[in-house]
Amino acid sequence: MAGIEKAGAPRSGAHTVIGSSIVIDGEISGDEDLVIQGTVKGRIALKESLYVEASGVIEADIETANVEVSGQVTGNIAASDKVELKADCKVVGDIRSPRILIADGAVFKGNVDMDVKEAKGK
Amino acid sequence: MATTDGTTIIGESILISGSLTGDEDLTVRGRVEGTLTLTRTLVVEPTGMVKAEVQVKNCIIAGIVVGNVTATESVEITKEGRMVGDIAAPRVIIVDGASFRGRIDMGEVDVGTERRVQGATARSALPARPSLRPSAPARAPQRSEAKKAEAPATQPVRPSAQPVRPSTPPAPVAMGSVKRKVIVKTKK
Repeated sequence: MAGIEKAGAPRSGAHTVIGSSIVIDGEISGDEDLVIQGTVKGRIALKESLYVEASGVIEADIETANVEVSGQVTGNIAASDKVELKADCKVVGDIRSPRILIADGAVFKGNVDMDVKEAKGK
Repeated sequence: MATTDGTTIIGESILISGSLTGDEDLTVRGRVEGTLTLTRTLVVEPTGMVKAEVQVKNCIIAGIVVGNVTATESVEITKEGRMVGDIAAPRVIIVDGASFRGRIDMGEVDVGTERRVQGATARSALPARPSLRPSAPARAPQRSEAKKAEAPATQPVRPSAQPVRPSTPPAPVAMGSVKRKVIVKTKK
């Protein structure tokens, strides 16, 4: 629960929450923060932050500014700002972002690319 | 946490295309396209737009819904709600100001038994009239044939009647009316 509380602070501005029992098969796109507690398959494209909580399961390619993963992600992540893999998360796929944080306890398998030239913004 | 458990919110700028399933309440302020299946309540807020086949328990529409909505309990279109599509639900509420185009199916309705009774009376009344009309012409030729066979005196009567006809009926409509009158006369 400590991890959820930590993640709760930056989430105050988030308007969109995908609940734990929700399953989305398709594409999610938007210009605001997205909190995922449920399951998403397909593709996620955001201009803001994506928070994958401990109960969240993602089988999708992700394109956002920020990604915080506490749950499971299978797929490639491309973030223009930052990718943060929290403790107890499981991530399989390639990550491309100028800033990548991997916490102690996180499980990750895949390539990391911190080359900034493709990541716009910062 | 800012969010309560058991509630999913789709924000204003979010577009979800594909299938969405779940066992909790869903509030749509953005857009959802594809199919939407919930075991609980769907709320489409005024900024929300749903273009999908919707299957839910309850549905409250204050935004825009395009597509068929099937609810196991109720569908409510509020005064801000706009919907195009078919509704299938035991309870459907459409308030003043709402706009809706489509069909509504409330399933087995109690009013249906009353309609059947009304329909039965209407049907019994309607076929009664046509049944009389065929019987009248059927009688008429029989009698005319009988008259032909009975006496040749009837034949001179007809030629006398024929010259009268072209003068009296100028329009085909009048011809029809004349024919009907003749049939009535033969009845009597």
